[in-house]
Amino acid sequence: MNLVRDVLDKKLLDREDCPMGRVDGLVMHVGERSQPRITHIRIGGSTPWMRVHPAFAKLGAKLARLWGPRRTEPVRIPWSHVVTAGRDIKLDVKARNTGALDWEIWIAEHIIERIPGGGQEEEE
Amino acid sequence: MKKILQISLGIVTSVGGFLEIGSVMTAAQAGAAFGYQLLWAILLGTLCLIFLVEMSGRLAAVSKHTIVEAMRERFGFPFFFIVLIGMVLVAFMVLVAELGGIGLSFQILTGIGFPWWAAPVSLLVWLLMWKGTFGLIENGASLLGLVTICFIVAAIKLRPDWSSAASGLVPTMPHMDKAHYGFIAVSILGASISPYLMYFYSSGAIEDKWDESYIPINRLIAGLGMTFGGVLSMAVLVTAALALRPRGIQVDAFDQAALLTTTALPKWGFYLFAMSMLFACFGAALEISLAIAYFFAQGFGWNWSEDLEPSKDARFSLVYTIIILLAAIPLVAGIDPVKVTMVSMALTAATLPLAIVPFLFLMNDPIYMGKHRNGWLSNSVVAIVILISFVLAVISIPLQIIGG
Repeated sequence: MNLVRDVLDKKLLDREDCPMGRVDGLVMHVGERSQPRITHIRIGGSTPWMRVHPAFAKLGAKLARLWGPRRTEPVRIPWSHVVTAGRDIKLDVKARNTGALDWEIWIAEHIIERIPGGGQEEEE
Repeated sequence: MKKILQISLGIVTSVGGFLEIGSVMTAAQAGAAFGYQLLWAILLGTLCLIFLVEMSGRLAAVSKHTIVEAMRERFGFPFFFIVLIGMVLVAFMVLVAELGGIGLSFQILTGIGFPWWAAPVSLLVWLLMWKGTFGLIENGASLLGLVTICFIVAAIKLRPDWSSAASGLVPTMPHMDKAHYGFIAVSILGASISPYLMYFYSSGAIEDKWDESYIPINRLIAGLGMTFGGVLSMAVLVTAALALRPRGIQVDAFDQAALLTTTALPKWGFYLFAMSMLFACFGAALEISLAIAYFFAQGFGWNWSEDLEPSKDARFSLVYTIIILLAAIPLVAGIDPVKVTMVSMALTAATLPLAIVPFLFLMNDPIYMGKHRNGWLSNSVVAIVILISFVLAVISIPLQIIGG
């Protein structure tokens, strides 16, 4: 598998095919006596912005502390949850439980649902 | 029967996407200043757009990915971010121009200044996006846009000299006003080859759940729809050459453009022009707002669909809400939509390489396209469009300053 071509930036779907962002970064474990291996997928937070410039990552983190669900750390999904890596990356998780949808839920509850016709967030 | 209906609706939608304030104003200025001499620019823009739109639809039908999704995956986040900045800034300016065009249409109908219309018009566009479905936006607004056929009626009624008009399809340089000529040619190409149309079209193919069986339909829609749109633009230019040029009228303001149809159709021409611009700009404003929201949602991997209720794709809905709100502000402040139109068309031309270069790679990628990769003809056309887009990118800003 070519990690940059086949995994990085691909769309992530949870077990119910709900979009939960993109593979913004990969965490690799490099042991002294073992082969390097991918341990986690990173979603959101400063991860994609670090790839553009650290200044963007700092600015993003500052803004995230001021407003929204106040989540500054990227979401980390263990690689063991990857079910398939094809056109999209399918994960054996429920998106809502991972934190990847924190912004989506916060915006829905605090802004969209307060506007008439915005609809109600589905109860679990 | 269902497929025939789909093709018909697709063609109508393409017309709705093609004709908007940018294409009408640039074609009217071209005809008023240089007669038929700039018809070649519309022909060239239309031919480029036919190929690009066909490829956008084919990419979506085969790979089940929109252009933006495939671009982010193939070129990575940093490249996506650069394109996002360029495309969204230009598309935002075009949105201001389209909302302004709706306001100006109401202004000439009612006599009430366009800044007063900016807020209600923006609210109406937002409300349709908030409550409407993709089908309503795609087909409803475009069907209303068919009133723009009045430009063809006006052109025919003015009895053009067809052989002179045909000679305008071959590029020639004027004896004077070369910078202005160049600026209008660039603006026409910017108005014709609109990247937002490609993003909207490929997203629409995913919304409509296209698969590989839609490839022939896509080819027909792109070919016939864009040709129809190009013919409408040419009709505007021909009408301007016959109705405005002999009277020495340069189209610097929107109400001057209304004279396009009043000369040929004295009784209904004024109202037909106002309604044409109103519906064409309304359809374009909806498509651009959606295209910007699609760009963000697809690039970042959010949930998106115009058919979902807003709370189910909250970030997508928030993007178009903010964009429409921001676009209304300069109009309320009284910024001239016609000037915004001309600047935004030149800037569209300047940013074209960002939108088109990735296409060449995506359309030849076996992972996305499989056996439906570009052939030599499509690749040659994209290469030519890329060449044109780089030339436009270099000359558009200097021409804007010298000839705009």
